[in-house]
Amino acid sequence: MNGLQFLEDRFAAAGSESTALIWQDRTVTYGWVLDAIAGWRRYLVDAGVGARDVVSLTAEFSPNATALMVALAEHGCTIVPLTSSVAATREEFLETAQVTIDINLEKDDSATLTRFARVPDHPLYLKLWASQRPGLILFSSGSSGRSKAVLHDFQNILEKFREPRPGKCTLAFLLFDHIGGINTLFHVLSNGGTVVTVSDRSPAVVCEAIEKYQVELLPTSPTFLNLLLISGALDRFPLRSLRTITYGTEVMPESTLFRLRARFPDVVLLQTYGLSEVGILRSRSESSDSLWVRIGGNGFDTRVVDGMLEIRSSSTMLGYLNAPSPITADGWFMTGDAVEERDGLFRIFGRKSEQINVGGEKVFPAEIESVLHAMEGVADVCVHGEPHAIVGNMVVATVRLTTDETLAQFRHRMVQHCRAHLAPFKVPQKVVLGRGELHGGRFKKRRVV
Amino acid sequence: MTSSKPDELAPNAIMTDRIRQIVLARCLEHNGLSERKVDVARGDDAPLFGIDGVLTSLELVSLIVAVEQEIEDQLGVMVTLADAKAASQRSSPFRTVGALVEYAAGRVAEEAGMEAGGHD
Repeated sequence: MNGLQFLEDRFAAAGSESTALIWQDRTVTYGWVLDAIAGWRRYLVDAGVGARDVVSLTAEFSPNATALMVALAEHGCTIVPLTSSVAATREEFLETAQVTIDINLEKDDSATLTRFARVPDHPLYLKLWASQRPGLILFSSGSSGRSKAVLHDFQNILEKFREPRPGKCTLAFLLFDHIGGINTLFHVLSNGGTVVTVSDRSPAVVCEAIEKYQVELLPTSPTFLNLLLISGALDRFPLRSLRTITYGTEVMPESTLFRLRARFPDVVLLQTYGLSEVGILRSRSESSDSLWVRIGGNGFDTRVVDGMLEIRSSSTMLGYLNAPSPITADGWFMTGDAVEERDGLFRIFGRKSEQINVGGEKVFPAEIESVLHAMEGVADVCVHGEPHAIVGNMVVATVRLTTDETLAQFRHRMVQHCRAHLAPFKVPQKVVLGRGELHGGRFKKRRVV
Repeated sequence: MTSSKPDELAPNAIMTDRIRQIVLARCLEHNGLSERKVDVARGDDAPLFGIDGVLTSLELVSLIVAVEQEIEDQLGVMVTLADAKAASQRSSPFRTVGALVEYAAGRVAEEAGMEAGGHD
């Protein structure tokens, strides 16, 4: 046992009959979770699992996934949460993280243990073991190239949950192998709240769960919120129990925020800011209709260097297992996020790596997406840059429409709309309609006159 | 395609004409959105970009992309009209409507595996 006893103390304080999780429409109490942690502790000893094992936990949010994660952390192991969403890169992840044991939780929550003939020897593991701390590996979904394996001192991540906060009934929307998902899980359980799990993350299923279990807090992403607004699910489920919606993981289009505000006038809308590499920062939006956010405090220092956010914190990762360190010599993590600062508040524009350079002018996709989202008939939109011989790069918008306009008709309307809201270089030079009518390629010679 | 009868020239001429219609239609679309209008009444001689041109570089990019997309849509051929090849032309393929039509027709013919210049 290490310094994580406080977690079990807090679970006990919640009351053994209180509901810790809703899973597959079943109620799981804090008493059950504590018993399960004790059971898994015995299981790990019997199975000969040691502190130097790197254990992948292949699971979704479930009672046993929760209990096992706590037991593994207490046991001093390094945990690699993996979900089915990364099935395609699973072998690469196991190899990169030097996983020695996989514990796979099936849909019915039964466990299968598999051993691998690997001996972890990464210098960062040696450093972790010297401090006798549990580890956590998260794979950051880089916008380009290979995922980076982020190694954390897991105890440092969990330490922040010592401070009591209100424990709400919360939907576990973000994934089990994502920093946001892990943050949701421990934030809620360390404060005696209830985690409501869902089998899939479609608007209808999420709304039904919120309605049925009177969920108060929905931590999610702008993309899902847009989907929710256009899905029509809100007509059937008014979601009156919701008190707070938090959004993070990507830049929120201002137009989506305003539509959300109009639809949920009494719900507090909060922007969160977190990264696999540093954890989730305490944050507070200036207001529910503002994209300016106060971030940091509670052990997180922030500074802006060349328009880019840097963070220093005791919970910053030890490093990447498979990439150079993005941490400065004096301990600041370079986030790669372009920001503007005003009186201690930040406005986040997006990843510097996604910035489009149009003839020397800098464009962030999120700003353009926001303007396009506000157009009638635009269900979804994605903006990216493409090299172009004349201006270096051009702005390309892929749009899904609810209208039956032709490309030329929509383009005309779009340019008129964009000219009123954007500088000329930000108006997309190319529009692609993403409605499945893919042309070119295979038929190209057949259709020539 | 190996025949050298005169009427075999027809497909290329038809295609060039279709591309001209595409370019002019996109110019009209541009005119509906911009103060800087392409003088489509001048047909092939209408200036686009350069010393006598009316388009900004961003407008030119939009026009070229729209022409590329329309060519792909109508003719089923994917072409890139602005690339190193275009830049290396002795005179810019973007100076007039006619130059753009001629250049696009050549690229379409190349892509479609036909000879751009017709027959000997």
